Amino acid sequence: MNTESTMNMQTSLPQTDKMTVSATTALPQTGDRLSMENETIKIQVNDLKLYYGNDQALKGIDMVIPERKVTAFIGPSGCGKSTLLRCFNRMNDLVDICRITGEVLIGGKNIYDRDVDVAELRRNVGMVFQKPNPFPKTIYENVAYGLRLQGVRSKRVLDEVVEQSLRSAALWDEVKDRLHDNAFGMSGGQQQRLVIARAIAIQPQVLLLDEPASALDPISTLKIEELINDLKDEYTIVIVTHNMQQAARVSDYTAFMYMGELIEFGDTNTLFTNPGRKQTEDYITGRYG
Amino acid sequence: MTRENDGFSQHISQQFNDELESLRTRLLEMGGLVEKQVYDAVTALIEADGKLAEKVRENDNATNAMERQIDEECMRILARRQPAASDLRLVVNISKIIVDLERIGDEASKIARRALQLIEEGQAPRGYVECRHIGYHVHKMVQQSLDSFARYDSRQALEVAQEDKIVDREYKTAMREMVTYMMEDPRSISRVLNILWVLRSLERVGDHARNVAEHVIHMVEGTNVRHLSLKRMAEEVGRSGRS
Amino acid sequence: MLGSENRNRRRRNIQKVAFGILWATATLNLLALVGFLLFIAVNGISAINWEFLSEMPRNAMTEGGILPTILGTLYLSLGAILVAFPIGVGTAIYLNEFARDGFWVRMIRQGVVNLAGVPSVVYGLFGLAFFVIIMKLGVSIIAGSLTLAAFILPLVIGSAEEALRAVPRNMRLASLALGATRWQTIYRVVLPPALPSMLTGLILGISRAAGETAPIMFTAAVFSTAKLPTSIFDEVMAMPYHIYVLATSGTNIEETRHLQYGTALLLLLIVVVLNLFAILLRNRLQKRYKSST
Repeated sequence: MNTESTMNMQTSLPQTDKMTVSATTALPQTGDRLSMENETIKIQVNDLKLYYGNDQALKGIDMVIPERKVTAFIGPSGCGKSTLLRCFNRMNDLVDICRITGEVLIGGKNIYDRDVDVAELRRNVGMVFQKPNPFPKTIYENVAYGLRLQGVRSKRVLDEVVEQSLRSAALWDEVKDRLHDNAFGMSGGQQQRLVIARAIAIQPQVLLLDEPASALDPISTLKIEELINDLKDEYTIVIVTHNMQQAARVSDYTAFMYMGELIEFGDTNTLFTNPGRKQTEDYITGRYG
Repeated sequence: MTRENDGFSQHISQQFNDELESLRTRLLEMGGLVEKQVYDAVTALIEADGKLAEKVRENDNATNAMERQIDEECMRILARRQPAASDLRLVVNISKIIVDLERIGDEASKIARRALQLIEEGQAPRGYVECRHIGYHVHKMVQQSLDSFARYDSRQALEVAQEDKIVDREYKTAMREMVTYMMEDPRSISRVLNILWVLRSLERVGDHARNVAEHVIHMVEGTNVRHLSLKRMAEEVGRSGRS
Repeated sequence: MLGSENRNRRRRNIQKVAFGILWATATLNLLALVGFLLFIAVNGISAINWEFLSEMPRNAMTEGGILPTILGTLYLSLGAILVAFPIGVGTAIYLNEFARDGFWVRMIRQGVVNLAGVPSVVYGLFGLAFFVIIMKLGVSIIAGSLTLAAFILPLVIGSAEEALRAVPRNMRLASLALGATRWQTIYRVVLPPALPSMLTGLILGISRAAGETAPIMFTAAVFSTAKLPTSIFDEVMAMPYHIYVLATSGTNIEETRHLQYGTALLLLLIVVVLNLFAILLRNRLQKRYKSST
């Protein structure tokens, strides 16, 4: 993608008290049909570049992610969608050779500022990984983990949060009689919902899902998707998926990435029925590669 | 045979359920409007009710808008949900049914226009009996085809298709009569021509109702019965009814 | 057709021969071990009785028991573990969890590897020079323990690092993503499943330390003591050194032969039991944390 061919639209973003958004944000959009007028912006990415050693994995990403909506990142393997997602909770910090320039504003605050406490950031920006990764603990302790980290000891509080989180993750009825069994005894789909319950137990504002259903069978996948749909009332959800049908099913907005660049960002209906750019069209119709 | 028409309440995705349910509801809404348009148009003609005819003309915009909305919704569901099997047949056939419904609406609008013309130019001397008879007949067909859609009832749909043969016969008889009359009394030609157009429209409504019925059969049975003889169609419906 | 038939038969025969040779080497291994154990056991079993285990040596060590050597070995091993385990685990955690890969870490790792290759007698000399003389600890339990600790440190570090590496990376990611600090992650998520393997390494370390002669012969063990040690600054007798002494410079080498075999058998039993215990412990605890996909 080069800038000339990008449709740089002038988007006026709503000014919320939480953040200041520059009035003109250059976004690659599906024509002039992307309207964010009714959305509150939760995450804003400004000219984000990321390098692994000498390789540039993200080549200057500009985008906004609306609050309490599901935004999906799609694109071929290695396009940088997972890398971008991991920038939102600074998981890339764990990679020694990773270097980042640019800004990621969450709720108006640049999370790459020096004074940001990474642990605190990650409490607010939860993440669910590709493979279910429960701890080798009981179901109860898995969900309670985040609270225990914060020093919560009260059994009453813990009980309440565990139940509520498991209910939100549509798992309570399946596990309420075996809360104190090891989580490894659950099926893959249950484990993944447990991990989601664990993530929402600490009430994050944003939930990042990194290919959350790619290791699951179709039925479990549909359950996870249904869960995502339920959760978007409370959380801003960003999902990376290599399954574009999944993106079509679950998301409100979709971003198509290719070779470390954001090619197109638009509302999912439009992007999947009438994409604005040829690369997007080729990818979602299976002509890519 | 009738299939449980709430068969899709089983989807894991509640949202998908809601979408399909709302699609069905909107189709039935549109169908209800179109059916009423046919009835009103015929009534306006027979009772020389200019106001009613005007109303039919205005309502046509509403059916057109509904067609466009439902069509977009179908496309959206196809793109986002990739429905399969019965879901796929439901969505695809809905997007076909609305085309026929919209045409029926157009025919109703044409009938209303003729009715207005007749009111202006004076009554035709003959043909009202035939118009009423065929008009209410095809109206009933439209009603039944929608009914069969709502109930997933391929038998009823088959009946609608069979009715169309009768309408065609009635139409031919009426035409012959009108032609005879025009030859007898050339002064009435322009007025009787209006009646001829109305009859033609009614016959078309019957054809579209038959199309809707065929889509319903496809949706319910999964076999495409378009362009089959009525006999073959009955066999198809009967066969799956036994199984 | 016929040619390929022959070729196939030839290939099968070669395979049979190769398998036969491999089987023989493996069996030879087992035979040697069994033979060795039997030899020690047959010769030593007659010496072992309650008196042998519970009494002091008498008559210039030609009669009586070997209690002080058993206790001495126990004290030395325990002391070595108490020192080596925290240092070893700490080092492993630092190397594996905190340190960024770089010059410093590579140096430490290389150092550990090289330490493991140093002959045990060099440790003995180092202990003598550093702990006994420079630090003025004298020939004592503490000097011996420290020397043994240095000797088994690479083993402990190695097994601890392996244990840490066996904890899946996605456990750490899961914890960090929930807002845990690195230390919370290590303490709550990494260490619990790693501990069993670490303990296994620890037990193997004990058995290793219990059997060594060279590191303690200059630093802790003595020919003979009149009394049991009362403090960590006392010198002690130890089983491996005792065997060495009886077999090379005892007052009557031939007459104490059965005592030598008895002591050797006892030492062997202790080491075997410890190893078995380590294996059982590992198997049991591993099961609890396995099954992670």
